[in-house]
Formats: sequence, structure tokens, C-alpha cells
Amino acid sequence: MNKPGWIGQIEVGNPFNEASLYKWGMVIDQDLCTGCQACVTACAMENNTSFVGEADAGYGRTMHWLHIERFWDGVYPNVKLTSYQPLLCQHCERAPCEPVCPVFASVHSLSQKTNLQVYNRCVGTRYCANNCPYQVREFNWRDYAPPEPLPNMFHPDVTVRRRGVMEKCTFCLQRLLQAEDKASAEGRVLADGEVITACAQACPTGAIVFGRLDDPESQVSHLRTDGRAAVLLEELGTLPSITYLKGGSSYGRNR
Amino acid sequence: MTRQISRRQFLKAAGIGAAAAAVLTGCGPESRYIVREPYTRMPEYTYNGLSTYYASTCRECPAGCGIVVRTEQGRALKVEGNPNNPINYGKTCARGQVALQGLYNPDRIRKPVRQVGRGSQQYSDITWDEAIKVVQAALQENQPGQVAFMLGMVPDHLFDLVSELCVALSAPPPIRFGAHEIFDARRTLSKAMEQLFSARAFPYFDLANADVTFSFGANLFETYLSPVAFSRGFAQMRRGITGRRGYLVQFESRLSQTAAVADEWLPVTPGTEALVALVMGRLVAEIRGSAVPNAYIGVSVENAASASGVAATDLQRLANIFASASSPLAIPGGSALGSSNGLEAAQAVLALDVLAGNLGKPGGLFLSPTTPVLPELPQLPNTLAEVNDLVQRMQAGEVKTLFIHGINPVFELPAALGFAPALAKVPQVISFASFPDETSLQADYILPDHTGLESWGYQKAIGGADRVVISGFQPVVAPFYSTRATADILLAAVQAIGGDLATALPYQDEVEYVQNSLLSLVTLDGFFNAPEIKTFMARFQQFGGWWSTQPQLDTPAGVSALDQPLSASAASFDGSGEFYLFPFMSPIFGDGSGANKPWLQETPDPTTTVMWNSWVEINLEKAKLLGLEDDDVVKIISPYGEIEASVYRYPAIRPDMIAIPFGQGHTAYGRYAQGRGVNPANLFSLKINGADDLAFVATKVSLEKTGRKRVLSRLESKLGVYGE
Repeated sequence: MNKPGWIGQIEVGNPFNEASLYKWGMVIDQDLCTGCQACVTACAMENNTSFVGEADAGYGRTMHWLHIERFWDGVYPNVKLTSYQPLLCQHCERAPCEPVCPVFASVHSLSQKTNLQVYNRCVGTRYCANNCPYQVREFNWRDYAPPEPLPNMFHPDVTVRRRGVMEKCTFCLQRLLQAEDKASAEGRVLADGEVITACAQACPTGAIVFGRLDDPESQVSHLRTDGRAAVLLEELGTLPSITYLKGGSSYGRNR
Repeated sequence: MTRQISRRQFLKAAGIGAAAAAVLTGCGPESRYIVREPYTRMPEYTYNGLSTYYASTCRECPAGCGIVVRTEQGRALKVEGNPNNPINYGKTCARGQVALQGLYNPDRIRKPVRQVGRGSQQYSDITWDEAIKVVQAALQENQPGQVAFMLGMVPDHLFDLVSELCVALSAPPPIRFGAHEIFDARRTLSKAMEQLFSARAFPYFDLANADVTFSFGANLFETYLSPVAFSRGFAQMRRGITGRRGYLVQFESRLSQTAAVADEWLPVTPGTEALVALVMGRLVAEIRGSAVPNAYIGVSVENAASASGVAATDLQRLANIFASASSPLAIPGGSALGSSNGLEAAQAVLALDVLAGNLGKPGGLFLSPTTPVLPELPQLPNTLAEVNDLVQRMQAGEVKTLFIHGINPVFELPAALGFAPALAKVPQVISFASFPDETSLQADYILPDHTGLESWGYQKAIGGADRVVISGFQPVVAPFYSTRATADILLAAVQAIGGDLATALPYQDEVEYVQNSLLSLVTLDGFFNAPEIKTFMARFQQFGGWWSTQPQLDTPAGVSALDQPLSASAASFDGSGEFYLFPFMSPIFGDGSGANKPWLQETPDPTTTVMWNSWVEINLEKAKLLGLEDDDVVKIISPYGEIEASVYRYPAIRPDMIAIPFGQGHTAYGRYAQGRGVNPANLFSLKINGADDLAFVATKVSLEKTGRKRVLSRLESKLGVYGE
């Protein structure tokens, strides 16, 4: 039983309470993903991500916090692309990037249960990116300041990163915090779907679903029990917050 | 008796103990969790104020998706989908997201200018008053037939206004075109509808409720008609209303993004989509045991199989799938319509819908409702043949002043059409472009319009929604530069001329014109209702447009559609090269207007993952035979021109074909677009299909090695082994 005004260890409405109710997570249905890249650009627009230009892009230095993977399978004419797979920071509970950081720039947030990158701590060792089995950390090899007046579109809620700093998906932390604070101020709990990431918001097919893993009634919790569900590189024991639903057939799909 | 412990067992036990101690003493991952203190907030933990959201409409393609733009302190920060708009229900595509990089593009034309010598890029500033005088003189001093307007496919309100202006001037109606018409072939689709159903209405495909969908070349998720709406429909189809997962089959010569997502992809010989659709109809009729309709008299499985390259067994199997579906749907589009027999293909595919008996049923084919806003004006763009007429008039010196808005014809039209040399024959060219594109650089005056996010207007959306949708534009930020709405310029010139013209167009400005056009909606029952026009306009702005509450789709009359034999003539091709040329609209750049947005340049192509450039796709095995490697630069030669591009060895394209994306290859258009990639429109023949749309898959080309290499930047190489 919860005390009045409390939910578990959390006092609702207390702004100094850093712990939080929520554990955020995502489910990506690869059977619905059309590879359209709307999530990729939505992420870049939301998070002030730099573009790097053709040469650096060719060296694999693009700053895509989210990219879409696909692989060729078979030989013409029996050839196809594997289901599109949007890949972003998996927000592992046991994140391989965290213990290798010498300056505690890659840390875990107790509140959101996400993996954070503290830009002003980062000294650019790139150990975290080398240790990330999902290759979703992006390093600022240069200062990629865009020419005026392009910076006008920069989001004031999100830091602009500079050279020598590692960055990655934050699960649109600025959105989560704003929504959490608002709900907290109103003395209530966030409803499912009240806050979603930019990629989930843009996704034309609704393949990306974002929500609370700690809420057993949330859409993500339901989808995680689907027979097609899998986490990437499960054998590494990283306990990702993102679950993928296998594409290509309805075998195992929850009714 | 004491138990003997071996050395091995002892070490094993000790190891387990040490591991357990590590966890319990807090050296494990738990210690990595941090507790944040209130005064050490990261910038992500602060927010600087509340945002203001404005509903408007995306202008990156003609689909008319509703958007809500987040602004703070007068700056537009983020494009989000409008959750109420029935076209996209809160979703957006990649192009819509990056619209902000058009608004804040560093290469925008910032004020009205006169160009001193076309193409010189030497500008002298003029004031807006002088600009209006120039427009006024052009309208006043030329004979009515000497003025021509060329408009793009967005926005609709400007087209409506210019149409009224042309009537008042007794000038020929404006020409409306764009690469989106070339690759979507709306006119072919509507002509096929007219021939089969005697209906002058645009089709609506209820993808969401179909359980088996055969797409003949339609690039549903990339650029076709209303890609966000089709994506949503597809998701619903895959999820399956009845629990049965929808099945998508794509007939297309190259594996497009849609084909990649489809459950089956059949690489048909280009130009045989019509034949495949007809034989599919015959087989389905036979499977169902009904009499084979007259429409299918002339087709045989053997001929279709040998012509299309699809095995007879596959045809039979697919026909079984289609025949046993509860709501099968066939959609024509893209390369099927862009063949020289494109009109026949459209008819054959729509006939399949008739045969399936899905007309007016869930998951079937419907007629889009006609718009209540100025329904007398055409909603579809012109055909290539009509554009060609304008070009001939320009070439003959009959056009003295050409106004250009919303289209970049020098880039978008096939080079063989000769638009650029015809433009040189026009004494006065007035462009309203926001960017120094290929066409505006050949203009005498550039009077920049606002970009989409700074503009008023409406778009009469077509093809995407199951009801009437009038998507509304409103400025989400104050104009960033000294730009002015083209409608305002024209209306100011009209007012200055006065007389009958001013009486015919009695509008003070663009907003008044928009308001006047929407008057007919006030009395209709819609998503919101208002007692009079002022309240109506306020809500129109608030909600980002007006739409009906209920679906309003009509059923096509298909009773006699299959009575006449349908034909599928062999597609014809210009040129004698070894390869079919398969141009396709880039899913990222669309009609090429996306190429000046750096984040679109850095967005990987969905199938090849190439960024910042063009490529030419060649079948993997064929490339091996020809001795071509990735990134080898080849020269592609058609009877109409030649271009050079880097090879991408594409595993999923016919060996007798090469494919090039359309959208790059700008010779102007700002720092991010200029000099990047190639434009396949330089290779196109001018063959047209039965509906006078361009047959863009009607050229055969040859390849020549250049011995050079130009490395393509791809995302995928990063994901493999470095240096692979």
C-alpha cells in the first residue's frame, strides 16, 4: 500500500526527489518498419545533431544517433533486404559503455533508468564507443558548427556538442523531464503515451513505440511479451531497454 | 571422514566466491548508478520556457500533410505531425522533418533582386515597390497571350488565384507541373479511371483494410501520391484488422524501398506490368470458376510469362493468393505508369480491382471526393504534352513574360524537352523562387516568396485521405528575410492596374483571397464548425485546416468495366543501348527540392545507404561480367545526353537494367546541392504514354568505363569491417 501522496519510495510532487517512478523503454516492430528514415531526421532535428559532410560521412563519422540497418540476403532473383532495423542506443541496464569511462561521463540515470552521456565530463577517450556492442555512440571528430542562419533551428533545451565529445541517443531526455516535472507538479503519474521520443512521434507506421516498462499495462510492456520479441545481442547480458519484434511474418504474434 | 578437495575444485570455489563478493561489495554495475543533485543539473535537465505550437501544412511535396511546428522566441524549432489531420494523423516523413533547413537555409534569396545578365549571379537590389511595378508592367503591357505562368504542385491557393487572374486577363491558364507529376503520373491514373468507370475522380486505395495488395510499381513508402498516408495504411494492413497479417507483393524491375518491405518482389521486365496485371486477371477469373471477362480475351499465361520474366508457376501461385484473399487490392503506380504503355498498365491494374470485386468495399478501390473549394478549377497538374506546348510557344517567341513559381523546370524537366534554350528566347523571366536554383538563375527578376513555414494558403489534398481535406498554411514564424508572398505581389499589381481586372480580383491580399476561397466551407459540417468566416478562419488556423468528420468516398461504377477487351501493347524504348534506364525519384530528395537541406543530404538512402551523392545501380553479377567495381565512375549514354556516376553494385536489380535516383545533380541551388551527383533527366527520351504523361522508363542506354573512381559515402560500410 502506498502512503497518501507517495508511490512506493517516491513522493509525488517533490521536486527535490531525484528518484523516479519511471523506467523508459521502447519496442520496435520490424514488421512495420518501412525504412523511410523519418525517425532518423526527426532525431537529428530534435537533438541539434550535426551533419558532417560527404567526406567525413564516408569515413563513418556521421552523427546519426539513430540509423537504420538492413542487410542483403540471397542472390538475384531470389534476393531481398532483411527487415529494416532502426538502431539506436539500447539504454542497457548493464551498459558496457559505463564501466570503461575513466571520467564518469557515461553514467546511468537513477531517475529515468537510461544511459546518460555527460558532455562536459567527456574527455574523448572513445573507450565507450569501442566497448559498445551496438555501435551507436557517435564521436565529434571536428567542430561541425553549421553556417548562419542554420543555428536558428537549434533547440534551446538540448546542448550543442563540440569537438572531442562523445554523444548518443538520450531517449529525448528533455521531453521526458519536461513531462515528468509537469506531471509531478500536478501531483499525478504520467499516462502511457503522454510523452514519446521524436523518432516514435514521427514514425509513419507506428513501428516505434515508446513508453514505461515499469507499468505492466503500458503498450510497450504488452508488446514486450509478443512472441516475436527479441533484444539485440542478448547473450552479452546487457539488458537493453529496447525490444525488437521480428519482421517478415506474423509467426508468434500476440493476438 | 574429511572430504578430499582437489586443487581444481578449490580454485573453482574460490573463483565463484570472489565473483559473488564483487557483486555484493558494490564493485559491480550497481555502483555506476548515480544520484543527481538538484544543483548539478545538466543542460538537458533545464528547459528555457514554454514552446508555442502552430498548426500548418508541409510544403515539401504535394501530399499536404498537416504539421504542428514548435516555436520558441519566434524561432521555429521542430516540425511535428498534426495529430488531427486525416492525411497523416500526426506522422511525418523525413522530408517534412527537415523543412526547417529550408527556412533557415544559408543560401536563401534574401530580398528582391534584378539579375544583371542571366546566369551572371550579379544582382542589383530593387525595392518591393519597384518589383510590383515590374509585375504590373508585365501584366499590363503584354498582350494576354504573351504572358505565361508556370507553377509548381504546391500550394493550391496560388494556383487557384493565378487561374482566376489568367481568366481575368484572358491569358492562357497557368501550367502546373513538377517532377512529382512525372514520377507519380496522376494524369495517367485519372485518365484510366475515366476510361474504366466514366468517373472524373481521382482513385483512393484503401490499403489499410486490404489483406492482399499487389502493387505494380507504386512506390508507396517513398514518394507516391501521399507516402505518409500509404505508410499508415500499410501498417494497418500488416497488423491486420481481422488478425490476419496483410500480404504485399511488389512488381517492379528494381528492388525499391517498397519492394524491400513487401513480402514478395517480382523483377518484371520493364513495360510488362500491364501484361502481368491482365494475365493475373485471367487466372483469378479462372480460379474463381467464373467466365473469363472480355477484358482478358487476348492474354495467355505463356506469353505473359515469357515477356515479363515471371515464371508461369509464380503467376499461378500469385493468382491463387489474390483469388483467395478476402479483400484483395491492386495499385498501379511509378514505373508501371511511366512506361510507354502506362495508360494500359493503369487500366489493367484497376481492372484487377474490378475483377476482385472490391469497388467501394473496405480494402478496395474508391473515388476520392471532389473538393468543395473552387471545384471548377483543375486539381491535377498538366501533362508533359501540355508543358511541351508552352515550351514550343516560348521557343517561337510567343511568350514575352514568363512567371515561374514553385517549380524548377530547368532541373526537373527532361533536358530533351529544351526548356532551357526556350527560356532564353523569353524576353522577360520573373521568378518567385526562394533559392538560387537552376531556373531562377536564368531569370531577370527574382522576387522571393516566403518559404512554406512563413506562408499563408491552403492545399486541397488528394489521394491520401478518405475524405475532403483542406490543409491550411499559416506562418509559424515572421518572415526571416525581406520576402513577400507571391499572391500579395500579384494582387498588388492587379490593384495598381485597376479597372476591370481589379474588379475581377477584388482582394486586398493573400489572406483575404484564402478566406474568400474557403467561404463555401463555412456552411458544411466539418471537423469544426463556425457561425461565420472570421471564426472559421481562426479555427482553420488553430487546427491547421478543415476536413470532414466522416469518410466520404464514392463507389466507382464498374459494371461494364471488364466488357471491353483490354490490351497490353509491348512497351517501346528509345535508344539502342544494352541497358534499360530505370530512373526513380529519390525517397529522400523527392523532386530535387530537398537537395539543399544538409540533413537530407546526410540521410542515407533507404536501400543503398548512400549519402551526399548520386549513384548508378548495376546488378552485382552483371558488374562482375563487365569488370566493374563499386565506386567506378561510368559514363551513361542515351540518345539524348550522357552523364557520369559512380557504380553501386546492387544485388536486386535486373541484369539488363541500370537505375539512377532523381533528385541530385544540381548545377545551382546553394552550397549543399550544387555540384553533387547527376541528374538522370538529362538522359530521358520524350516518349509519352497514352495519357500524355512522360514515359520515363522508355530509354535504353549504354555504359562506358572511364577508368576513374569516385568513392561514395555510404552508411553501410561503417557497419561492416573498416576498410572493407
